[in-house]
Amino acid sequence: MAVNEEPKAALATASRTHTSDDAGHFQHPLYQVTLQTPGLSVGTAVFDDLMTWGLKNALWMFPMATSCCGIEFMAGAASRVDMDRMGVIIRATPRHADVMVVAGTITTKMAPRVLKLWEQMPEPKWCIAMGSCAISGDFYRNLYSVVPGIDTFLPVDVYVPGCPPNPEALMAGMIKLQEKISLQRTGKFVTPEVKPELLKITNPSVPRLNDPARRPEQNHEQELSADSPTVDEATAPLEVAAEGPAPELSPLTSPDFEGLLKELGIAELPKDGPPIIPLEQHLALARKLKSLGYRQLVTIAATHWLAGKGRKGADEAEPEHFEIAYALRTVGMGSRVAAWAVRVKAGQPVLTLSGIFAGADWQEREQYDLLGVTFAGHPDLRRLMLTENYVGHPLRREFPADAHWAPWR
Amino acid sequence: MNDFIHGSLYGGGIIVVLLTVTAMALWFERKMAGRMHSRLGPTIVGPFGLLQPVADVVKLLQKEDITPEKADAALFNLAPPMGAIAAIAVAAVIPFSSSIVAADLEVGVLYLLAIGALGVLPVFIAGWGSNNKFAMLGGMRAIAQSVSYEVPLVLAAMVPVILSGSMKVSDIVAYQAAHHWMVTWPFFLGIPAFAIFMLAMLAEANRIPFDIPEAESELVAGITTEYTGMKFALFYVAEYVHTLVASAVGAALFLGGWDGPFAPGIWWMVAKTLVLFAFIYWTRYSLLRFRSDQLMALCWRWLVPTGVVLVAASAVWVVFAG
Repeated sequence: MAVNEEPKAALATASRTHTSDDAGHFQHPLYQVTLQTPGLSVGTAVFDDLMTWGLKNALWMFPMATSCCGIEFMAGAASRVDMDRMGVIIRATPRHADVMVVAGTITTKMAPRVLKLWEQMPEPKWCIAMGSCAISGDFYRNLYSVVPGIDTFLPVDVYVPGCPPNPEALMAGMIKLQEKISLQRTGKFVTPEVKPELLKITNPSVPRLNDPARRPEQNHEQELSADSPTVDEATAPLEVAAEGPAPELSPLTSPDFEGLLKELGIAELPKDGPPIIPLEQHLALARKLKSLGYRQLVTIAATHWLAGKGRKGADEAEPEHFEIAYALRTVGMGSRVAAWAVRVKAGQPVLTLSGIFAGADWQEREQYDLLGVTFAGHPDLRRLMLTENYVGHPLRREFPADAHWAPWR
Repeated sequence: MNDFIHGSLYGGGIIVVLLTVTAMALWFERKMAGRMHSRLGPTIVGPFGLLQPVADVVKLLQKEDITPEKADAALFNLAPPMGAIAAIAVAAVIPFSSSIVAADLEVGVLYLLAIGALGVLPVFIAGWGSNNKFAMLGGMRAIAQSVSYEVPLVLAAMVPVILSGSMKVSDIVAYQAAHHWMVTWPFFLGIPAFAIFMLAMLAEANRIPFDIPEAESELVAGITTEYTGMKFALFYVAEYVHTLVASAVGAALFLGGWDGPFAPGIWWMVAKTLVLFAFIYWTRYSLLRFRSDQLMALCWRWLVPTGVVLVAASAVWVVFAG
């Protein structure tokens, strides 16, 4: 380095006297020598052409295929289209690949993984967004869990539109990419830059649950920071014209379940949903039912009701609350069903069933994830479907209907 | 000094030819795979896609050279050249005609078995050094497989050695030229030994149906998972050279090497090598992959006992009938 100091300084003084023509040019003394060597420029140009030719004609793909576009992508490598004709082969590891083909919807949970795989690819590398979902999110665009186009976090070189695009379209995209590579090498094209807002995906403002930097009170803050409610219309009950009497449902429940309900003071099953039982009887009922042969937990489904709203027939003066419905069924006993619900105020925990039914673990995590219901005593109450740093619970009534979780929007 | 010049010239020439043929073998494999999939294979880059391997190499030369942060850098970078060298070094003792041989060692067969076995080491080094679970699993599988198949390989290679009474590869070929090819007479020894030899060689080179160490569906890309650019290319070269050299060794030990009518010896040697080579690709695109336990069962329950019997039988044959 020290050797180069002096000529550089000399050039710096000399360049002041130069005309504006070579002001922006590379000023290394060796460069000046190469400019004056006869034939060298031809040689380097030919060499550069050779290098570009190699890059263009050996594009190995990394399949980032998450949904139906992936099937078309596979067809692109098979008999009729055969992208191997132009030297395109598919490598399973990002380290060997040159082109990442994102074929399919990318969710907010997937996006950091995609970015990680992209960063593992060696330069020079390119990215193709295949299909509407990868390009813009398409009809999932406004969904709370979908990234509205991968160019929000990846530099995309070629867009292949279609839903899904056929393999020929993908091959046309590869040819476009080859053209682009040639242009890039002659300096006619500038690589698009990543939108900086999107880098937030990998650096979440709220530390993840397994992050030691996360404070316990942040669990609560994260719940409270959901978007402000502006949705009176969205929560209004649908006006559905009643057409004749409601069809009679065949009795699925059994005398033993009804007997248990009678013990709890519920004489007959309500017509509009599962019977609501007192919160303190919840665990005992589940335990009794399991001993009676109801061994399979079919579902746990919670509903969020804003203040003054509620299930038909329920008290209209209810505060904001959750109604959590449980369904059990027997195994090998004629498949009888037992369904009940409990009602908790917002923020009030409900006891977990995961000690009785192992399957309750993930189902309760899902309800926690999407609605923010907390389950007391749950061994591992983390988000299940969404990213760990997701803000808010998308199935709550106050969550804006068209808001995908995008901190940059 | 004379030997040194002779070895350098012939050895250098053989290496250059070998690497060129390897590059063409990549093209050949892709074309053949294409035909077997009712595709065309490379057609656009160069006439009949012939320049495809060149484009691949030119591209791989320009790729970023990544050493993962958590990898053991020394081992990680040592493995690829070591693998390529071990694969190429075997070619030294192969007689391509009665006069073209780089180093005609007295213990040629021992040398090629020993150096061929050395190819396991870089595979395991790569698997360990990458600090990647897929590479590690691939490396461990490769070790288990290669060490096991070393045994039937040695046993099968002993049959021509015993029958011809020499460990020098050129002597074995000369013996076959003077008498019979090993697979024609005594065929009941030669053909089984040849079959075991080819199977074990396939397993050593990690080719389908024995490519468990780099099973794409389970292990991403096996030991090469973390390698980029030319380092990955060196592994690729090692694999293809290994296959090519294995074909040449098989041709020399069992198919009479350069022996044949009408044409100069080198043509026969090359033709036999390429036929075996094509056979290996044919298997690759026809057969499925073995399971690990099936692989081990095949080796220890069938190939090793058969190999032992064959060696004993050849000794008996040499004493009483030879």
